[in-house]
Amino acid sequence: MDFSFSSDQQLLKNSARAFLDEHCKPATVRLLWDDPRGESESMWKEMAQLGWLGLSLPESYGGSGLGMVETSILLEELGRAAYPGPYFPTVLAAAAVEAAGNDTQKKRWLSAIATGEARATVALLDNDLDWEPASVTTRAEKSSKGWALSGTKRFVPWAHVANVLLIPARAPEGVSLFLVDPSAAGLKLSPVQGMDLATRWVHLEMDKVPVASDAVLGAPGQAASLLGDLLRRGAVGAAAEMLGAARRCLDMAVGYAKVREQFGQPIGSFQAIRHKCSEMLLEVENSHSAVYYAAWALDAKAEDAELAASVAKAYVADAARKVCGEAIQVHGGIGFTWEYDLHIYFKRAKALESMYGDVDYHREQIVRRAAR
Amino acid sequence: MDLNYSPEDREYRATTRRWLEANVPKQDLKTLDERKAWHRRLYEAGYVGMLWPKEYGGWSATPMQQAIVQDEMARVSAPPAINGLGIGFIGPTIIVHGTEAQKKRYLKKMLTAEEIWCQLYSEPNAGSDLASLKTRAEDQGDHFVVNGQKIWTSSGPIADWGILLARTDPKVAKHRGISCVLLNMRQPGVEVRPLKQITGSSLFSEVFMTNARAEKSDLIGNTNEGWAIAQTTLGFERGGNALGRVTRYVTAFNQLVKATKELKRGGRPLIEDPAVRARMGRIYADLEVQRYAALRVLSALQKGDTPGAASSITKLSYTEFEKRYYELALEILGPFGQLMVAREEFEEVDTSSGEPGTFATAFLWSRAGTIYSGSSEIQKNIIGERVLGLPKEVRADRLKA
Repeated sequence: MDFSFSSDQQLLKNSARAFLDEHCKPATVRLLWDDPRGESESMWKEMAQLGWLGLSLPESYGGSGLGMVETSILLEELGRAAYPGPYFPTVLAAAAVEAAGNDTQKKRWLSAIATGEARATVALLDNDLDWEPASVTTRAEKSSKGWALSGTKRFVPWAHVANVLLIPARAPEGVSLFLVDPSAAGLKLSPVQGMDLATRWVHLEMDKVPVASDAVLGAPGQAASLLGDLLRRGAVGAAAEMLGAARRCLDMAVGYAKVREQFGQPIGSFQAIRHKCSEMLLEVENSHSAVYYAAWALDAKAEDAELAASVAKAYVADAARKVCGEAIQVHGGIGFTWEYDLHIYFKRAKALESMYGDVDYHREQIVRRAAR
Repeated sequence: MDLNYSPEDREYRATTRRWLEANVPKQDLKTLDERKAWHRRLYEAGYVGMLWPKEYGGWSATPMQQAIVQDEMARVSAPPAINGLGIGFIGPTIIVHGTEAQKKRYLKKMLTAEEIWCQLYSEPNAGSDLASLKTRAEDQGDHFVVNGQKIWTSSGPIADWGILLARTDPKVAKHRGISCVLLNMRQPGVEVRPLKQITGSSLFSEVFMTNARAEKSDLIGNTNEGWAIAQTTLGFERGGNALGRVTRYVTAFNQLVKATKELKRGGRPLIEDPAVRARMGRIYADLEVQRYAALRVLSALQKGDTPGAASSITKLSYTEFEKRYYELALEILGPFGQLMVAREEFEEVDTSSGEPGTFATAFLWSRAGTIYSGSSEIQKNIIGERVLGLPKEVRADRLKA
């Protein structure tokens, strides 16, 4: 029983922190707000060189063969930096290709992802925003050359920079997962902007988008459990990122409480502020336990891995909302200004809260597993 | 990171489970003698004093083994060992700070529960501000004469000995004039009055000391060093009950689920009500996180890390959770949640207080957790100052000192 990071894992965390402190400063994030792509090409290349993109891919495709624990370590640091870019959607899509793809599909995409040549994303939400994987309404009809996809996908992260889109659709055989070329005919991409200007979503309209017959991941009609796995992996990843954002907000609040003086004393000496900060730390530490337990459980294929993923997402979403919000409260007026950096992390946590299953969705999953 | 139990720990758990299945008493233990006899069997099996060094009668076991034993005991609702304060806090204090003669005289009988111990720390006017205590111990050469009053004393009526904090120098700053001494509870100058709690039972008491006698040879450490000794005591025995606690929560959750299948709203079982499901999902996430956090604490203890002030986070987390947990349980159960005596429909809930009862008992007990052993407010002060490094507050007593 060892809940602490190995020395390699700690090294990964330290090098990620050092890299992001230098290359993903708040000023960098702000610059990218106005960028049409929203990400930095040079940062992406360096992330590939650091081995981050192939972190959890097999060594035969240029990866490092590591797991969700290491991915979560990176995602926590990326969340702490409010990193803008398609890192996680790409990693998630790669995990799907690795899990269900055939050799040709793996050769085509995994090495390209590990080297940074390709970006990818997964479109998990249809028109009615139902996170239940079986609820897919996008249709896949048989055509002469393969398939034709029609329907709507919403809030697809970073689809505008992706080289391949993973799109679940309902085929006659059942729910299937398709590899779709973003430039295919009949596919319309429109950007969607939320309150976090560093999170980019895309609205997809598909009207008989042609997909080749060999572009199905796994057997047609068999994608439901794969989509469930992806959703849980996404949930744990999002929880890790929210944890990073929350820790950043806590650090900023504590730092500020030590130096900001009112009534002739640092405000951190007042119990009203100190107790708030202590409660925030409690939530952050519990979130750490939740994220890494769930990440480990996925890697170890533990009996309670599915439960733990939902617990992590549901718990950390609440915790991050509270911690990031209270950080603004501790700061007072300055925390509400555009020029102060706090809202960058506050909004990142908020953007992730509703992704990969919102709190209500995961609570329901928890009850289904626990209340038998 | 590897959260699998080691093969040794799994084997240890299996052995413990077998022992408990063969030995846990079938009937409730009613008298103190019956509880002492059970304690003795637990001790002889190696399940009491687990972390104590072998030379003092302990078993030099690992924190994980201790947690596994507590977990397995919770799983079968085995009656707990007694003398918990003695074995958890007072004994280790004597081991660290006591003389050889004190160790010889007191430790073994504490472990075997031949002598029951209590802690004489809190006073009516010295709760969170413990250092302001007023009980006096006057130096009479070979002994102290003790006068004063203590309160919230667990096991008071059955205690043979107490560890006492008393003022030996009223002229210096408050925490510099306190001594720590062992007090014989079986003497005319010590009167114990049971204190009835909101649960209706009397597990606490008040202790009145009138010209009571404490031997100089029973002084722990030097005169006026009692405050520092009391501080070190607080670091012992964290995490031993970490897994057992969570197992009790799960047992209670399963009972709650059972109830929500039988109780109805609008003709349908409560468990099908989305509002109930959402709240149960939320509390179960919370419960699971307590389990993950417990594993994290145990993992650190296994490595020999001392959690120090960080253990305040653990205490704050689970005691506040217990309040939320049993509040929700009672809301779901409606008037059933009010019952203080178990009925057929509802089994007993193991409140871990040593007091058998129902969800209502557990609900009432949950109000104590955030007060004893340093209230939530004190824990937040400790976390803020010692973990986060926030500046100390300006306090009237510090200004005077």
